[in-house]
Amino acid sequence: MLSGIQTNTSNFALAWDYAKVATVIALITVVGQFAPLSYHALGYVYLFGVIALSLSIRRWPALAAAILSGAAWDFFFVPPKLSFSGIHFDEGLLLTTYFAVALIGSQLTALRASANRAELFAESERMHQTLLDSVSHEMMTPLAVFRSSIEQLATQDPTRREQVILELKVATQRLDRLVSNLLNQNRLESGVLRPNVDWCDCHELVVAARRSAGVKIGDHPLTLDIPMDLPIFRADAALMEQVISQLLVNAAIHTPPGTSIKVVAGLSADSTKVLITVSDNGLGVPEEIRDSLFDKFTRGHNARKGGLGLGLSIVKGFMRAQGGEVSVESPPGGGARFTLSLPYEKSDSIPLE
Amino acid sequence: MKDERKPDILIVDDEEQIRRLLRFALEEAGYSVREADSGRLALGEIALHAPDLVILDLGLPDAHGTEVLRALRPICPAPVLILSVIGNEKGKIAALDAGADDYLTKPFSGGELLARLRALLRRVHPAATPGNSFEFGPIHVDFQQRRVLRNGQLVKLTFMEFNVLKMFVTNSDKVLTHQHILTELWGPHSVNRTNYLRYYMMQLRKKLGDPVDSEGGHFQTEAGVGYRFVSNPDAGA
Repeated sequence: MLSGIQTNTSNFALAWDYAKVATVIALITVVGQFAPLSYHALGYVYLFGVIALSLSIRRWPALAAAILSGAAWDFFFVPPKLSFSGIHFDEGLLLTTYFAVALIGSQLTALRASANRAELFAESERMHQTLLDSVSHEMMTPLAVFRSSIEQLATQDPTRREQVILELKVATQRLDRLVSNLLNQNRLESGVLRPNVDWCDCHELVVAARRSAGVKIGDHPLTLDIPMDLPIFRADAALMEQVISQLLVNAAIHTPPGTSIKVVAGLSADSTKVLITVSDNGLGVPEEIRDSLFDKFTRGHNARKGGLGLGLSIVKGFMRAQGGEVSVESPPGGGARFTLSLPYEKSDSIPLE
Repeated sequence: MKDERKPDILIVDDEEQIRRLLRFALEEAGYSVREADSGRLALGEIALHAPDLVILDLGLPDAHGTEVLRALRPICPAPVLILSVIGNEKGKIAALDAGADDYLTKPFSGGELLARLRALLRRVHPAATPGNSFEFGPIHVDFQQRRVLRNGQLVKLTFMEFNVLKMFVTNSDKVLTHQHILTELWGPHSVNRTNYLRYYMMQLRKKLGDPVDSEGGHFQTEAGVGYRFVSNPDAGA
């Protein structure tokens, strides 16, 4: 469910380390040719180079830095120049220091990295625990309803039976929504989601969304304002169906029964985007939570009890996967207005008959 | 006496509880029911008993539903209803293209299932297959003269519009995938030209006065999969 801890041992990161080593040493060598420094002083400049490098790179690149520095120093600067000359004791000592420094420095780097990892790991453990707690709570509630309802079904009182059946229906819907939200969130995070982007007709998307939202919209009248000549655009129909139905269900849940929900669609003024808005007549979304509203496990202040806070994070994920966006505003007249936007391009023409 | 015979339905699903509950619902609705819990057993059942309809779960343990479909199609002309899970559009499309007739996404309601079964079984009876003409709602289609009347008024359809309509009518109550329609009508090289199909659907709905915005439309959209033509939307779900 949660993104795994990054263990930066990819080949790319290693190549990057070696590239840093080569660059720094080449730079010192070139500058050393022109700098008015004795070859001994230059030996120390190389040492500083190795220290600096070893604090930010892994062990093997650090050792490579030591070897390369030693070789470059000896070849270019220790007289006679431009040859690998035999070296005296004090020069040899300096060369050995390169290796010691490289080993110590890279060890420190590794320690720091593992401390970082441990912290990340603890953080991810905490997230897992939170998720597990809320998921199990969310699952246990409908299960408890199932269990006690089944016992109640033995009753002979017909009105009681009807009530129990209603409770069973509500609990089933709740579990259904929970499981499909978890599955969708997982599809988003595990990267298996491959949007199947194709030409879509907005009318069809909204009708399909309304059908899949079904009874969950309850007694909220739905008004559609979609121009008949709205051109087709590119989107993943199945994802859009879920996105729109999620927004419809959200609107129905967060507003008083009987208030209407409106769906409006059209092209943006410059015809580069398709905009679909879902607005309700509820309390709206307070300014301060508007930014975090689409994060997972975030729930509105006056949200009813229950729910994981995954719905809108899935909406955002599905829209991004199609190259689109979602935003929310509370217009002055009240209510919340969610706007879905998708890039629009004209479809190539239909062959004439 | 043939009309008196209960339609025979084969349920192929590996979950025993699902099979049992489906059996309750189906037997109560007057069908006779057989069960199989694997693709292999299903093929045996089909060879022995020739069911009138097959309900097939796509996630069987021994074989993918699409493989089962390919194996059963040569020996079994009965309609096949697929049970699939949310988010598996590719699986649904593959199954429909492999010869399934319709699908339901789990979890579904019993009412929905029975409505689909009724529609699929209607197709099997000759009365539903169009002869020279076909009527639905206010629309009258004359196949020989390639003429369409709406409330007695002539509707001018282009050549391709008529072909699309004809394809839907001859495949009533069956889900047709975008790919299938495009290949049949425009040829295999046009299989990805869904924009053609959207355009023709818009035109057809407009000319035939079929509402896209209400549940009562004859041309129903299956998001991301295809279309289903329902000759009698009120009789269904």
